[in-house]
Amino acid sequence: MMSDRPFLEPGLEEPRLLIEEGPREKLPPARWLRRHLFNNWYNTAITVLLLMVLGYGGYRFLLFLFVSGRWAPVRQNLTLFMVGRFPRSELWRVVAQLIIWSGALGLAWGAAIAGARFRAAQTGVPYREDPVLARVRRYWGLLALLLLMLLLTESVGPLIVAIGAIGAGAIMQWAGTRVPGQYSDLLWALVGMLAVGGYQIVSGFHGNGWLWMGVPLAAGVGGLTRRVNWQRPRRVRIIRLGSIFGVLLLSYLFYTFVDLRGVGWDKWEGLYLNLVAATVAIVLSFPLGLLLALARRSTFPALRVMSTAYIELIRGVPLISLLLMGRFFIGFFLNTDTPLSALTRAIAAFTLFTAAYVAEIVRGGLQSVPRGQIEAGQSLGLSPLGVTRLIVLPQALRAVIPAMVGQFISLFKDTSLLSIISVAEILQVRALVHTQPAFRGFGIAETLVFVMLAFWAFSFTMSRESQRLERRLGVGER
Amino acid sequence: MTQTTIDSSGRQSRVVWYRNIRVLRVVGQAIAVVGVVALLWWLFNNLVTNLDRLNINTDFGFLGRPTQFQVPYDEGFNPRSSVWSMMLVGVKNTLLAGFFGIILASILGLLVGIGRLSSNWLVARLATLYVETLRNIPPLVVIVFVGFAVFTFGPFPILSEADQFSLFGSDHSFLILSNTIWAVPSLIAGENAGLFWLAALAGLGAAAAVAWWRTRVRERTGKPHHRVLFGLGAFLAVAATGYLIAGDVYALSWPELSETGRRITGGFELNFGFISVTVALGLYTASHIAEIVRGSILAVPKGQSEAANALALSSFQRYRYVVLPQAFRVAVPPIISQYLNLVKNTSLGIAVSYAEITMLTQTSIGNGRPAPQSIILLMGVYLALSLTISSLLNVYNRRLQLVER
Amino acid sequence: MMRVKRFAVLVLGLALVAAACGDDDGGGNLLAEVQDRGTLRCGVNDVVPGFGFVDAAGAYSGFDVDFCRVVAAGVLGNANAVEFVPLNATERLTALQSGEIDVLIRNTTWTATRDGQDGSTFLFTTFYDGQGFMVPAASGITSLEDLADADICVLTATTTELNLTAVLNARGIPFNPQGYADNTQLRPAYEQGQCQAWTSDASQLAAVKSAIESEGGEAQTILPDIISKEPLGPVVRDGDTAWAQAVEWSVMATVQAWEFGIDSTNVAGFASDDANVANFLGALEPSLGLPADFAVQIISQVGNYEEIYIRNVIPIGLPLEGSPNDLWTNGGLMYVPPYR
Repeated sequence: MMSDRPFLEPGLEEPRLLIEEGPREKLPPARWLRRHLFNNWYNTAITVLLLMVLGYGGYRFLLFLFVSGRWAPVRQNLTLFMVGRFPRSELWRVVAQLIIWSGALGLAWGAAIAGARFRAAQTGVPYREDPVLARVRRYWGLLALLLLMLLLTESVGPLIVAIGAIGAGAIMQWAGTRVPGQYSDLLWALVGMLAVGGYQIVSGFHGNGWLWMGVPLAAGVGGLTRRVNWQRPRRVRIIRLGSIFGVLLLSYLFYTFVDLRGVGWDKWEGLYLNLVAATVAIVLSFPLGLLLALARRSTFPALRVMSTAYIELIRGVPLISLLLMGRFFIGFFLNTDTPLSALTRAIAAFTLFTAAYVAEIVRGGLQSVPRGQIEAGQSLGLSPLGVTRLIVLPQALRAVIPAMVGQFISLFKDTSLLSIISVAEILQVRALVHTQPAFRGFGIAETLVFVMLAFWAFSFTMSRESQRLERRLGVGER
Repeated sequence: MTQTTIDSSGRQSRVVWYRNIRVLRVVGQAIAVVGVVALLWWLFNNLVTNLDRLNINTDFGFLGRPTQFQVPYDEGFNPRSSVWSMMLVGVKNTLLAGFFGIILASILGLLVGIGRLSSNWLVARLATLYVETLRNIPPLVVIVFVGFAVFTFGPFPILSEADQFSLFGSDHSFLILSNTIWAVPSLIAGENAGLFWLAALAGLGAAAAVAWWRTRVRERTGKPHHRVLFGLGAFLAVAATGYLIAGDVYALSWPELSETGRRITGGFELNFGFISVTVALGLYTASHIAEIVRGSILAVPKGQSEAANALALSSFQRYRYVVLPQAFRVAVPPIISQYLNLVKNTSLGIAVSYAEITMLTQTSIGNGRPAPQSIILLMGVYLALSLTISSLLNVYNRRLQLVER
Repeated sequence: MMRVKRFAVLVLGLALVAAACGDDDGGGNLLAEVQDRGTLRCGVNDVVPGFGFVDAAGAYSGFDVDFCRVVAAGVLGNANAVEFVPLNATERLTALQSGEIDVLIRNTTWTATRDGQDGSTFLFTTFYDGQGFMVPAASGITSLEDLADADICVLTATTTELNLTAVLNARGIPFNPQGYADNTQLRPAYEQGQCQAWTSDASQLAAVKSAIESEGGEAQTILPDIISKEPLGPVVRDGDTAWAQAVEWSVMATVQAWEFGIDSTNVAGFASDDANVANFLGALEPSLGLPADFAVQIISQVGNYEEIYIRNVIPIGLPLEGSPNDLWTNGGLMYVPPYR
């Protein structure tokens, strides 16, 4: 809190020399109560009133939770809430996806830590390690939800899955920190492959997915070829291009002929769908948003006008109207004879919507890069593209990470709107639970509370992380 | 002027047109524009072709046809009136919910934001609890929850057995609460209401004149102007005189439960959809506004508070004269965007059957009106609303910046 | 030079991405396309027991669902080759228009407006229904006039809403509608007394009445006034006659089988001297685009109309005898053109 740091101007990062604040006074309980709750007459009155209200409200709430609450609909339908009516015989795919993605996240995190340590060693700025206990404390919302669900389940399977996922993540994170800095690009290619692979293990290795898998694979192969000390430079280029092309070709052949089918994303439902839809939308919207932001700042008036028009248009309408547009007539714009599924159209609407907001965020980040950096780049003879790519974007994107996380949270919350176009995400699954004969009018409030808790746990955890990132990166002060 | 360059042997030569940066820029932009326009034209063409193929009309003629369904809780609405008038009803409802939601959110957000910084530990923690809970729940879920918790499964009885509250033995109830409608008294304009409004207008003029006079007094003599008090006094004097002279200005209309117990006659009705949407969005947006308020107060440099303390200003004076004005300047743009979000979030009214524009549009599409035109109109309505609100408030914001500097 | 190369690579990359995203098949008539594809995409309800309902394991059941299977058995020879697409009331017709589904069998009433301006064509009526009102038995409401000034719960975007307005306005009965998007919101509102009556198709009201009463709720009464005609049947897109005919004759085969006395238990090896029966069972090839034995496939895999009705509609409390859905020889309206 700012009031605790009287000698620091707002906006500066922590300087290396900290004026250590004195140990905080530990007040004895009576003094503490006096100071914080009863220090003057109106505070006393407010405290007394609040305590009475809290006492009564807390009592009723606890009663609801443990005594009179009818949690049977939640308890018996946990799988339904999590994955909806996903074919139960294919649930192993979701489990595998959870583990793979947990591993990919862990690996990326480990690589980020290794990179930060490396930079810290080079520049001399100390890198504050994040002890595991602090991290556990930060994620208490998510862990509480997990614990609650594990308590409610009636089999040991989910517990094993949870342990497996967390274990995979932890192992990969440890591995990521161990990889030396010069292999980091290979590491990121591996992360990309795990990310795509995790997605496709559910959706199937077939059709057009070959490109998504081929790109990180080719990047990894390209990185490998760069490391070998080939004899002649021309041969190097041929070998590198050839290997990349070969990888893509292999990927295409595999996907077209081996053609492993999975479960199309029309069947993804429940909380799983909320998470995946938000993730896919934000990943897809990022390039579009970046392009829009660059276009909005470009010197070409035509580009500027068009991108500004798009951004202001999208930001002025509610998301539900875009979803309705997607639901009702986006199919009419395209001439495909295999019509797009409802979820595809919804994600297209989400992507278009988020891209406008991402564009604004990135634009703010671009504006925060000092002009001197651009001028320095130009004085080095870099082309405008080079300046943007090598100097502006890295700084800008680092600065916008907290805001992007905030946008992701907002998008995750907005996935609840899929229930209005009757795509079966968790809120709609709740309605489905209440069409079961046993639960038609039973436990309506309890299921709603459970859905609220699910949304809350994820959003709260992500927003805590974003605030922490913001503090560490020192963003938003200038 | 044609570009020239210096080649390797030192001679100047003309730059070829395909390397001329100016030409390339213009050509590049032209290609981009042509590309985008071509894409848009292709999309639009597909749309029209497909609609024609299905015999769905592509014009806006449907706006003139009768609606054929009744709008909930709008007794004056005739189902034979046109779709256009139904949409106007929807816009009116959206604006109503937006307006009252904004008021609720502002007041609550301000209180909670300041409460988070309170020295009372309990108040601060409760405010934090409120903010961290509501900020992380989707607005749709909040609306559904409020609708269910307050109305469907709430403590209010059904309309025919509604709770009626009256003051100390009076025959009239000033508050009727049920699980569908809440009713409060309203004012019915009498014959001379117009006269009264004229008097009120005159009162405003008088107030302005008095305030101006008091300002001049202060400039001359240095005494405090108290212009607000004087102006208010002038306005009240003139308005009260006008009221007394005019006589039959406004009558109170008391809400009454009809004999069948199914309708409320008189008074002003608030239906459960409206209350759910307004209260839920007020609560939700208040949590965001509280964060903004807190951030803006923290953004005021600490030196300002310390200087205020050094001048022996009380805590209230410090807030009122030093901290809040500066904080206000920082807070206004994000609060504007929160207001816009609130208005856009009223589009979730279908969850509680509130007849705002999105719900009515969805209903009319389901009843056979052409979807593309209806949705485009819907988006146009929201675009107009948000552009209006943001431009009005941006004008105010700019004025704020200029005046303060 | 480098920049041109990079630009070329970028364009190539974008082209690859575009290729990876596009997914066009050729055009053509829908019957051939469905037979090519091997599955039928059928738009159904998923929350109405008895007509279109999906349980927690993902299995679809219901009267309309069975007719989807009938069409699949007729056109493709396999009643299980169906992909069910659940739709709500607002989006059902646009899903059909956009080509997301091949046929819509989802409690949809045949009206002139829908035939004309919604780009859809209605086929043989499989269920003759009517709109009614349900009130709690304790409320003492016995006729429509008793509903003056009442709040009436109704699903939005249905003909129910339009009929309600038209009929009550015509009779001069003031009312207030409460429009809900689906029954999950509507039912709690009705049960908690937010509205005094529930209006919907009589078949749906019967299903809900039996559900409420069997779960220990208040007794319900369905008012005797039936205020509209609601002929429900399959719907296809305008402009494809071959597909429409294939669907229609598949559906009508169930009624014809009932008339002949053929059901799933005796269709294999059904023998009769009647040439019409022989034609029906495969001796006739009228070039509808259906395989010759389509009727046998339908009856053996799904059943005849009576079996479908008994399986799905009887459990929700709507009898077959005496209803308009009875065979024409019994005084009902089920009458199909002869197969010859």
